[in-house]
Amino acid sequence: MEVVKFLGKGPGLALLLGIMIAVLGVVIFLARRSSKKEYTGRITFPVLFMEIAFVFLIILLGFKKGSANTVGPEVVPLLWIIGIFAFSIILLVKALLGHEEKDPEWGNIKVTITYILFTILYLIIMQYLGYYISTVLFLIGGMYYLTYRNWKVMISLTAGWLVFSYLAFYKLLYVPLPQGKLISWIFG
Amino acid sequence: MDLLSNLITGFGYLAGIQPAVAIVVGVILGILAGAMPGLSPSMGVALLVPFTYKLSPQISLILLGSIYIAANYGGSITAVTINTPGTPSAVVTSFDGYPLTKMGKPGVGLGTSLIASTVGGIIGTIILIFFSVPLARLAVKLHPAEYFALAIFGLATVASLGGKNWAKAFIAALLGLLINTVGIDPISGVQRFTFGNYKLFDGFALVPALIGLFALSEVFSRMEEYKLEKGVEAKFEKANWPKFLDYWKLKFTILRSSILGTLIGIFPGAGATIAAFLSYDVAKKSSKHPETFGKGNPEGVAAAEAANSSSVGGALVPLLALGIPGSATTAVLIGALMIHDINPGPLLFVERPDIVYSLFAALLVANAVMLVLGLWGSKLWIKVTIIPKKVLLPSILAISIIGSFAVHYSFFDVASCIGFGIAGWLLKKYGFPAAPIVLGMVLGKLAETNFRRAVLMGGYRVFITRPVSVILLILAVASFAVPLMQNRKNSQAEKQQ
Repeated sequence: MEVVKFLGKGPGLALLLGIMIAVLGVVIFLARRSSKKEYTGRITFPVLFMEIAFVFLIILLGFKKGSANTVGPEVVPLLWIIGIFAFSIILLVKALLGHEEKDPEWGNIKVTITYILFTILYLIIMQYLGYYISTVLFLIGGMYYLTYRNWKVMISLTAGWLVFSYLAFYKLLYVPLPQGKLISWIFG
Repeated sequence: MDLLSNLITGFGYLAGIQPAVAIVVGVILGILAGAMPGLSPSMGVALLVPFTYKLSPQISLILLGSIYIAANYGGSITAVTINTPGTPSAVVTSFDGYPLTKMGKPGVGLGTSLIASTVGGIIGTIILIFFSVPLARLAVKLHPAEYFALAIFGLATVASLGGKNWAKAFIAALLGLLINTVGIDPISGVQRFTFGNYKLFDGFALVPALIGLFALSEVFSRMEEYKLEKGVEAKFEKANWPKFLDYWKLKFTILRSSILGTLIGIFPGAGATIAAFLSYDVAKKSSKHPETFGKGNPEGVAAAEAANSSSVGGALVPLLALGIPGSATTAVLIGALMIHDINPGPLLFVERPDIVYSLFAALLVANAVMLVLGLWGSKLWIKVTIIPKKVLLPSILAISIIGSFAVHYSFFDVASCIGFGIAGWLLKKYGFPAAPIVLGMVLGKLAETNFRRAVLMGGYRVFITRPVSVILLILAVASFAVPLMQNRKNSQAEKQQ
């Protein structure tokens, strides 16, 4: 029980997450080396779900239990965790027996990853340069990256979107669109 | 006769300029609020409440009621055209609406959603007018065990949503249910799975999650298919709008979904999303071609839209007849009524029939106005589908980011939206549907709180001692088992062939 308490929070939880990532890495490595390498993804997903369920289970064991007549905060999540384990085992067995379809082909993954990173960068920049400047960079940069070159459309669409954001969200809905730390520091 | 004469008086009140303007403005604002991801019908209504301070109580209610009606339809526009549901209930509309757009038939999706919304809204209002008092009394008498059984019945729809991938659909639903338990437990106050992060005390917000799972995952999937080539532009194709006969074929689906939607809308806490999921499931099970659902069947669009629009009438039943708000939007509406010193409840029908019946008349007229504006606007909405991907994809991302930020003004919500987007993209690639995750997130709270309340009130046996609960649980088991057995039968037949 002490081990469970340790793993349920703080550095113990970080250790547990590290172990889970390592286990997942080993599973992927072994799957790729095995005769089931075409099912690597189909094997990885159920293992990942079981790992998520296991981490939640470890945390859940630390919850205060309900009394005899009440249902404690741990009961319902436990039901969902058991369900995830059960269905993940079904999927894992199906994948190992080859009853699943083979892994799908990856398409232009470079464009997707670049765009995800670009979106994350947009969020980071927004906190420093504010909503308006970062959105100009994001929209024009995004269209340019996707090889769109009609500058009239790019500029008018970006300007239109900024005007709409300002009027609809800032003025009408009182959404405090980020001003940006850098801009606030320069202009006060 | 009282009812009819009151209703005629209600229509008479609408004859002036002010009520007409309130309806038209309300419908336009409602459509815009619904179509914009991140703006829910409740937010749309709440935003307009301050503008009603100086208006008369009737005009205020007419304006807010029109927004409520139209926002539910507005959510379907972006769901059909760009797979970005503007409202949680429009998630179900996107199941078949977006495949129709991909097949080059956005007009069919938009037209069907408009007609189904209008008819559903009218049927919901008619049921509200004639049965509000008895239905409201019935709804509040339901025991938590019965609410729990209703939630389980809703969850059982996952079996038919998943089709052949039923195990994957169940895992997706269970993940949604587990995600829903993140945050401070509403009953015991225990922090569950918050990892000590205060931003998770309220759990994950639904709107950023669904924007991520549907809009961002779709953008990432399209990026994956994308080739960085210059000069490849979308072709403009003339939109095909359904003909009267096409709509007529959907009459039973629309009628059944409207009645079901209204009934579910009456239950406090159930709402438009559950109504849409359940009606979609029933439509799929009663269809001659259930295999076409999820691939662009207009019946799916009609079922979802008729149900979510008719649920508005249902949600107003406990509000007006008993003074109990059953949804976020009706909670805002009750606030607006109180600002004008009006206390909803049984006495409202006796003391202020002018207010009640002018609202009923306005809701019927608002549906007609929505039809006219929707038909006119559809020609505009459809143009979204011919925007080049190079412009559309970054624009969807920008809309999604501001939409998820606007919910709580939080970067955490935006980050979780991106996280859900990446997860949705990968899950979809491996055949895990996103819709059950949303269903789990929507139904999780209803199921858990009522399960715990029911046990507290009557122990674990309470679920099998109350007739309504037993019936709903049997129906849930049946709707869980039947699609699985059908799938098994089909796959055996395929093997034999």
